[in-house]
Amino acid sequence: MKSKINGIVILALMVTAGCSSRSAVTAPEASGRQAPSPKISSPVTPPETVSLPTASAPSSSASLSGYGFDQWQNGPLGDVFYDFDSTVLSAEAQNQLKQNAAWLENNSANKALIEGHCDSRGTSEYNMALGERRASAAKEYLVRLGIASSRLETVSFGEERPFDTGKGEDAWAKNRRAHFVMKK
Amino acid sequence: MMFAYNIKTCFGMQFFRYVVTAVMIFLCFPLSLFAAERGEYIAIHKEGSGKITLALNKLDVPVKEESRLAERLDAIIHDGLDFTGLFTMISPPINVKTNNSGEKVVLNFGALDSVGAAVYAGGAVSNTSGSITLYMEVYDTSGAKLLLNKTYNGNPQQLRAIGYAFCADLIELLTGKKSIFGSKIVFVSNKTGFKEIYECDFDGHELRQLTNSHSISLTPALSPDGRYLAYTDFSSGRPALYIRDLSEGKISTIGKSGISIDPGWRNSREVATTLSFEGDQEIYLIKTDGSISRRLTFSKGIDLSPSFSPDGNKMAYVSDRNGLPQIFIEDLPSGQVSRLTFSGRYNTQPSWSPAGDKIAYTTWESGSEINIFVTGIDGSGLKQLTEKSGENESPSWSPDGRMIVFTSSRQGSKKLYIMQSTGENQRPLLQSEGEQMQPSWSKFCQ
Repeated sequence: MKSKINGIVILALMVTAGCSSRSAVTAPEASGRQAPSPKISSPVTPPETVSLPTASAPSSSASLSGYGFDQWQNGPLGDVFYDFDSTVLSAEAQNQLKQNAAWLENNSANKALIEGHCDSRGTSEYNMALGERRASAAKEYLVRLGIASSRLETVSFGEERPFDTGKGEDAWAKNRRAHFVMKK
Repeated sequence: MMFAYNIKTCFGMQFFRYVVTAVMIFLCFPLSLFAAERGEYIAIHKEGSGKITLALNKLDVPVKEESRLAERLDAIIHDGLDFTGLFTMISPPINVKTNNSGEKVVLNFGALDSVGAAVYAGGAVSNTSGSITLYMEVYDTSGAKLLLNKTYNGNPQQLRAIGYAFCADLIELLTGKKSIFGSKIVFVSNKTGFKEIYECDFDGHELRQLTNSHSISLTPALSPDGRYLAYTDFSSGRPALYIRDLSEGKISTIGKSGISIDPGWRNSREVATTLSFEGDQEIYLIKTDGSISRRLTFSKGIDLSPSFSPDGNKMAYVSDRNGLPQIFIEDLPSGQVSRLTFSGRYNTQPSWSPAGDKIAYTTWESGSEINIFVTGIDGSGLKQLTEKSGENESPSWSPDGRMIVFTSSRQGSKKLYIMQSTGENQRPLLQSEGEQMQPSWSKFCQ
């Protein structure tokens, strides 16, 4: 985890490359990475493609903010996003998971860690459980697509590692996600 | 009515042994003889019948050099008693003691009565070559009855403990119940940049860091006997339950896949926690060596945050079986489950009161407000304790049930607060850097 945090600076430099490498893989459906899309029930704004954590990092807890820009963030496995208190995979999320599955199928030596995350609303114990269900939902979808369960590990960080430490639906939408970390 | 005692011998060889005048023969009685009077007193001051007006006098000292010591102890006792919310603290009238004939000191109960004091407490402190001796007397002013006279000893580093020992005795005497003195609060703070577990005394003093994992440590809970600390820790890369033996330092884990989070002690041998190794998040009962005793919940979805009735036969917990999280109660012997909360769409963090009759919990209201409620265990008597003050979370009862510690973001970042269990007198518990959260009050008072 520490190495991920330490990697933030390097990653900030790599973000541009990261985006382009992902879009190279996912060219026709690049918007799948940009979940969630607006829903009738909640005014969800899609997160910006990638916003630099350094721009909004608060001083004291800088090391805890902007989590998600680790060295694998620019890898081929994209994150998927969820609605509030939901583990349901939207069409966009399913698209992204299909791309992730395709990559994993072609790179059978690689494994993935799927981290479930939540926004800061609600209470943190419940969010820890909810985060696990999000990660599990993503994993189950990949398994149904034929990826061996043994290659997919899940973990929950609840609301402990927000991607965007801001408040408001813009930030929250980015934090309700299953984040993919590629493992060798 | 006036009583006299001789103060001359107080600071002599037989320190604090007051010479008893004929009028005060009962001063010599062993403490047990006061039991009847104590019961009588408790009958008058039933819980909820209002605050007790206490005239706390400044401590006498044998020599001027010790006045600083007395001032420190004065403050410890005053602040400790005031903290409980049980008292209206007043200074005794100036003429509370009158020197009638040079050596005799007389307590002026008439004057105490006229200022409204129900109870008078005063005494003396001395420091004899590094040994502190506190002598205290407590009177019921209306009957001019001596309720307590007792000597407390210790070294200068134990000044707070000496003062609190008297406070504990006084409260037990006046209310017939154990006090909060000697209890601990464990909580999470991110002041180092990492979420670690800390503990402090019931009043926020004696802050101490308990973990240093440089990871994420969450949801601490002390076993009822204080021997074990259970908490969730990310050191292994995933949220795992740690059960630490605080005397031996040994840590037990459960060693199952998935998460193990948010422990709640059933008794000092069993802690319940949510595990997901069977695919769904269910609550299990765990022994202190980390082995699974048995599974307690069987519903699809999230089951979380166990809190037990004092007899350990019932468990309040959070379940999202109906969609958003609500609080349920399971009767362990029969396995029967009933839903407790029906108002509010998002109810979590149940905390069972030590008396067994109430459950505190939080409701996430519309917007970003979270409030603390208390309800009877049958769902009756719902009462809202916090209002329009940001996110108020993680209520935990004091061992005597009179107070609740909680987290609030009312001043911006999350800090620890306390209040009477009626919701009155909400105030910060401690000043510390960073954010503090997830407080859990010990069941014990040591």
